Amino acid sequence: MVREVVGTQQRSQVKQFLSLFDLTFEDDCDDLLGIWDEQGRLIASGARQRELLKMIAVDPDHQQTEAFAQLVSELIRRGFNDGLETFFVVTRPQNSLSFEAVNFRLLCLTEQTALLEYGPGIAAYVDNHRPVRHDGVNGAVVINANPFTLGHRYLIETAARQVDWLYVFVVQEDSSSFTFDVRYDLVCQGVTGVDNVTVLPTGPYAISAMTFPGYFLKDHDAVEAQQLEMDATLFARQLAPRFAIRRRFVGSEPYCDLTRRYNEALKKYLPRLGVDLIEIPRATNGCDAISASQVRELLGDRSRATLEALVPSSTLNYLLSSTFNTNGLAPGRH
Amino acid sequence: MEIRRKAQAGTMQSSDMMVFVEPAQELTIEIESTVVKQFGHLIRQRIEGKLQQLDVRSGRIRVSDRGALDYAIDARVETAIARAAEE
Repeated sequence: MVREVVGTQQRSQVKQFLSLFDLTFEDDCDDLLGIWDEQGRLIASGARQRELLKMIAVDPDHQQTEAFAQLVSELIRRGFNDGLETFFVVTRPQNSLSFEAVNFRLLCLTEQTALLEYGPGIAAYVDNHRPVRHDGVNGAVVINANPFTLGHRYLIETAARQVDWLYVFVVQEDSSSFTFDVRYDLVCQGVTGVDNVTVLPTGPYAISAMTFPGYFLKDHDAVEAQQLEMDATLFARQLAPRFAIRRRFVGSEPYCDLTRRYNEALKKYLPRLGVDLIEIPRATNGCDAISASQVRELLGDRSRATLEALVPSSTLNYLLSSTFNTNGLAPGRH
Repeated sequence: MEIRRKAQAGTMQSSDMMVFVEPAQELTIEIESTVVKQFGHLIRQRIEGKLQQLDVRSGRIRVSDRGALDYAIDARVETAIARAAEE
């Protein structure tokens, strides 16, 4: 029977169990479950952090039983009760079939990892955005816009001239200083006047906790290379074909090492999957390249003159408005 | 019966199905199964019959099938609806 893992003794039992599968125990979970045999030996474990299932392992002697299905059912049942309906798992490619057998869909595969989802997922996401799909040679930018600057505006204007239609995907993951709602709204206002543009939320399908936790955690270990490849592959395999996207545009990155490595990974992986990667030099403010992190540093001053050179009037109005309060900024990255 | 709230029944074990229901304006049935090509229409028929019998006229029904036989389909759908109909 599937039971909750309780107490330090059971937790260390799980930790040890996972190490047999080269899996790391992570404390951050909403649910942590296990299955024990009659002798009290742990034979299966699994956890859920929001919509991400993780730390799933089944003892080799019990892999022909229903232990795996029981465990995953219970994780999904609990997630559903938490109001979620689509779930993800990142696993090794050789485990993909076990998940597919219980109705997970393979979203993308890299040499060392497979990303699968369960539930309405990408089909529902695309269905929701069906009215904004255009034919032709389309392009995409994926931005966090924390907040939207004249640099974003320049990137979008330049990219839009090179394609029939440009999709501006705004990172939906809420791990930035400005909330998704604010960032999205400022992007929508900021692209006014560019006629062939549609603004969309990324959903979990780009730079999310699913594809790219390192981006938010500043995780600099070997996992990062895998995540970069996964994010690039997911974009090329899932988003690009559904929106007829042939070109992805990025701004050159003079400041942030991680973003630069992200751009490099896109350059490496996208072309071989049928999407051109075009890097556009950053817009400058006289001498310096404009960046959202600069804007965030200047917020304390709230000086109209300095901000005006970096952000469009829509963003400026918001930053100077009474609804915006610097104290409300969360400690996130761009 | 009326679907008043979100509810779930069943598991993803072999020969079972997991049923998720929630309130909606119209009646929709979404089926996921590794055998949806061969048996999708029969699973749908069975669910529609059960919903009719329970007098369920609206709601979003999602099933994740693992090769459930007719009686298992009936039982899981009925249980999910009964849970969803609770006050």
